[in-house]
Amino acid sequence: MWKALLYKEWIKTRWYLLLALSVTLGFAGYALLKLHRAVALTGAGHIWEVMVTRNAVFIDQMQYVPLLAGLALAAVQYLPEVHRKCLKLTLHLPVPALATLGVMLAFGVAVLAVLFGLGIVLLAAGARPLLAPELVGNILHAALPWYLAGVAGYLLGAWTILEPTWKRRILCLLMSVLLLRLFFLAPVSRAYGGFLAVLALLSLCAASLSWLSVVRFMAGRQD
Amino acid sequence: MTRFAKLFFWFLVLVLLLWQLPWAVNYLLVQSRNTPFTLYSEVLDDFVMIRHTSDKEVEYRDRAGNEYTRRAFDSLLPLFYARQLTADGRFPDSVAGRPVTLREAQIASFIFRSAPKDLNRPAPGLHFLLESMSGRVDLAMPSDAFRLTDRGIEFIDMATNRIDTAKSGRFTRMLLRKGCRFPVRELSGNPSARKEYDEGYLLLDADGGLFHLKMMQGRPYVRAVDVPGELRLRHLFLTEFRSRRTLAFLTDESHRLHVLTMPGYGIRRVEGVTFDPERESMTIVGTLFNWTVCVDGASAERYYAVSADDFSLLDTLSYPLSERRIPGLSFTSSSDRYVKPRFR
Amino acid sequence: MEPVIECRHLTHCYGRRKIYEDLSFDVPRGRILGLLGKNGTGKTTTINILSGYLEPRSGECLIFGENIRTLTPQTRRRIALLIEGHVQYQFMTIEQIERFYAAFYPAWNRDAYYGLMEKLQVAPGQRISRMSCGQRSQVALGLILAQNADLLVLDDFSMGLDPGYRRLFVEYLREFAKAEGKTVFLTSHIIQDMERLIDDCIIMDYGRILVQMPVGDLLRTFRRYSFRCPDDARLPSGEGFYHPAVVRGRGELCSFASPEEVRFRLEEAGIPCEGFTAETLNLEDAFIGLTGKY
Repeated sequence: MWKALLYKEWIKTRWYLLLALSVTLGFAGYALLKLHRAVALTGAGHIWEVMVTRNAVFIDQMQYVPLLAGLALAAVQYLPEVHRKCLKLTLHLPVPALATLGVMLAFGVAVLAVLFGLGIVLLAAGARPLLAPELVGNILHAALPWYLAGVAGYLLGAWTILEPTWKRRILCLLMSVLLLRLFFLAPVSRAYGGFLAVLALLSLCAASLSWLSVVRFMAGRQD
Repeated sequence: MTRFAKLFFWFLVLVLLLWQLPWAVNYLLVQSRNTPFTLYSEVLDDFVMIRHTSDKEVEYRDRAGNEYTRRAFDSLLPLFYARQLTADGRFPDSVAGRPVTLREAQIASFIFRSAPKDLNRPAPGLHFLLESMSGRVDLAMPSDAFRLTDRGIEFIDMATNRIDTAKSGRFTRMLLRKGCRFPVRELSGNPSARKEYDEGYLLLDADGGLFHLKMMQGRPYVRAVDVPGELRLRHLFLTEFRSRRTLAFLTDESHRLHVLTMPGYGIRRVEGVTFDPERESMTIVGTLFNWTVCVDGASAERYYAVSADDFSLLDTLSYPLSERRIPGLSFTSSSDRYVKPRFR
Repeated sequence: MEPVIECRHLTHCYGRRKIYEDLSFDVPRGRILGLLGKNGTGKTTTINILSGYLEPRSGECLIFGENIRTLTPQTRRRIALLIEGHVQYQFMTIEQIERFYAAFYPAWNRDAYYGLMEKLQVAPGQRISRMSCGQRSQVALGLILAQNADLLVLDDFSMGLDPGYRRLFVEYLREFAKAEGKTVFLTSHIIQDMERLIDDCIIMDYGRILVQMPVGDLLRTFRRYSFRCPDDARLPSGEGFYHPAVVRGRGELCSFASPEEVRFRLEEAGIPCEGFTAETLNLEDAFIGLTGKY
């Protein structure tokens, strides 16, 4: 049964996942390519200096890519469910509704974790030959909240999409926008420190919000 | 799960309201502060100030309330406005009975700024030690960077991204020989080629000992600075002003301000000035005769006039700040570069 | 016989608009029950409450003795649900959707599904989103039958089906339900189909149930009476007389009462019953007779 639930998520998302993989890795790769070119053109010294004295991380162009990847995954997974109330079919399956939702969300989070994990590995592996560990760390620490925003965006997106009424959905949207802002406040790399762990925990807790939407759906709430 | 989800939802609502509502109210209601630009006049022996009035006029006054024209005001601060007065052909031969030249005035003047957000931030971890005595007129950025470890100093060649063990060894040995104990607690330097000369770094070692580190012709120069026994140093600010009279400003655990004077590495207290670099920002406008020290504190903007000769306190002035803000939750702050929740 | 569905004192409103109050009914095991009513009388509301996607203001529904708000997965497995519009996962193909559902139902009848699919003239790899409306409906119905559930809840099952397939499905469903002792609760807006299919009917009016009875009894005992009568005559109304009206010199009313009783009551009211006729009706006419034309 669990395999079948995952099978459904896989059918919905497989083409998108290919696209997301190529786009997220593409952006990370492009950022690295630019870094390598900059080093070749201006010399490593200049790049190190800019990174140390001006907090440059050279990956700013991929800032919103993980967020968009997470939001799009939520759309790909949950729009087909709310389209003509298909969610009724899913929730009617002989599996506890909470478990069904849990499997769907876990699938999404796991997929994003793999996707973003690959991105982080690519960034680290690509930058390490050129830069000291401190600077590679700066790059990864700058990217970490962005990747986390992808996961949070996915979970908040699921909450918003699954919500049955428009009035409440607008509230979800507003709250999500504000919450997602939290991931883009860093003035410098490593600015989040321990708060990033708190944000990660809060992001995972945001999975529970989708359950609220499902409960409201099962209670028949409508505009 | 439903109960947890509901609790979590209301928790988020609460957090967002505490964050956004006070912000919006403060944004709409709180006016920007309007304390005047204040300097100590060596002519009046008192503070004088420039205030931008609400109708975009500029007022020039002294503490007693006398108003001046722009031109007259320049003459109250002959050392600060030395270039302007020279251009007008009005630069005096002597100020307060002391003969001065434009060159003297220019060399002695400096502006120093420190803001909490420059201290309260993630450490960069890498630093650049310039060659202080290359024999060239212009300074140049080095081809390596260094990090401080628990056991010494490590230079990394940037082009190859490899540790220069020979240089690292030389510098570490020299630091150890001079009595520096790792890990180093704090260091201060101005790693830039756009300055007139280079004094390298000041280091505060694990025991609170103060060291001056430079690279001269590729070799380490380390000088242990005598710190009076009762002085517990906290923060260092390497100055590199044109006059070369000071090497650094220092603060101690009680937020007193000290000057490391050159030559001779003497530590002199700046009388009467308290300054907590982690919470307050400070500006010092220095001239040949005096310094105007402005410390932007929580409840007041404090001005100190200090003699440039012996760092004695000449006068003080304080503008109380009556900023009324609605307390609320925020995640960033103008006084640090961290993202974390704070209620204030 | 123990009821499969028991609804007790259901009350529901949308905002201030009351749909019904204190509605109670049972569906016995092995019966095919049709829920009939004009638009807006609460058919879909009832189906939504029964399928667990609407919480009534008050009252409760039990299916197989369990409250539908807290149905266990094991019980849900015994219920097949056809949701409004014959919706199914459009992103799946005929094969994928069969493989998906088969994993959840131990009694899955693959042959029943593919038997129906063979008549469809579509490739097994075709996505449901690329099918016509009627074809999609057939996929949804095929899945319902393959699930081999004990209770089938079908919302507007005939929607989108062409007449031939509708007939085929009605026959297939009745045979299947009767042979296996299945209970079926359904709605349809095409009442002719129901006559061939259902054992019992519930006819709803705004806010209440008009009748719940076996269809056979309804067709046997519910009659339309007509008689000559002056245009200004006042026909007796209420108590057992449905929609009495006089149109161009002929009085008309429907009732479960016997012709003798109707005649007696009319004469008592001073209506001369000249040309008095009584006729039994088909289900559609009986429905209109009970609920009125408007």
